[in-house]
Amino acid sequence: MPQADTQQFGPIEYVEDDVIEFPVGLPAFEQETSFLLITPLKTKPLVFLQSLGRSELCFVTLPLEVVDPNYQLSVSVEDSKILSPAGQTLTAVGQADGVPVECLAIISLTGSRPTANLLAPLVINRATRRAVQAIRLDNTYSHQHPVEALVCS
Amino acid sequence: MLVIRRKAGEAFHIGENIEVEILEVGTNQVKIGIKAPREIAVLRNEVFLTERQNKAAATAASALLSRLTGADKSGM
Repeated sequence: MPQADTQQFGPIEYVEDDVIEFPVGLPAFEQETSFLLITPLKTKPLVFLQSLGRSELCFVTLPLEVVDPNYQLSVSVEDSKILSPAGQTLTAVGQADGVPVECLAIISLTGSRPTANLLAPLVINRATRRAVQAIRLDNTYSHQHPVEALVCS
Repeated sequence: MLVIRRKAGEAFHIGENIEVEILEVGTNQVKIGIKAPREIAVLRNEVFLTERQNKAAATAASALLSRLTGADKSGM
């Protein structure tokens, strides 16, 4: 079983089927294309996006539906092609046109407050494990959407 | 903010090396051509913002954890 060194979690074991591929990386991190999703029970609902290439690179994310239950997903044609080479267009969070889609928002600190980037959610095709940070082309959602402090279980 | 009115086919310059030309004006979109040295990054605003957020997020994991889980000393 392959093992990954991570700064946040120490060495962790994973199976190849757990690896999420970002064929074009993430903006500002274009070289990083392989990640693991880690969901420790004690910090639920937080999801960690751990780079396999860089042990120190770990994004904190939240499921999109936790940040905004009414979020309307909009994935560009270009990004849809990356997610689903078969050519389906993705229109919704969840089961979109037969494509099982998981969406996460990257959390950062704005000043000292946690905010979620709703302008560019991570969209993951669970069937192919291909993913993309789908930057919206409209101004509907903020790149610094305030997130309430969560008390994790 | 400096505001300039231009028509399709007209251009303006930023400094010595950057030229911006209005190529096409549609009903709700304009097509812009930019000539700039290779070392000048030209990014759509949403990409620029996302790059900046990602860089900030990449360095914030442990600070965020204590903040989001209420594990820090102030009891947040």
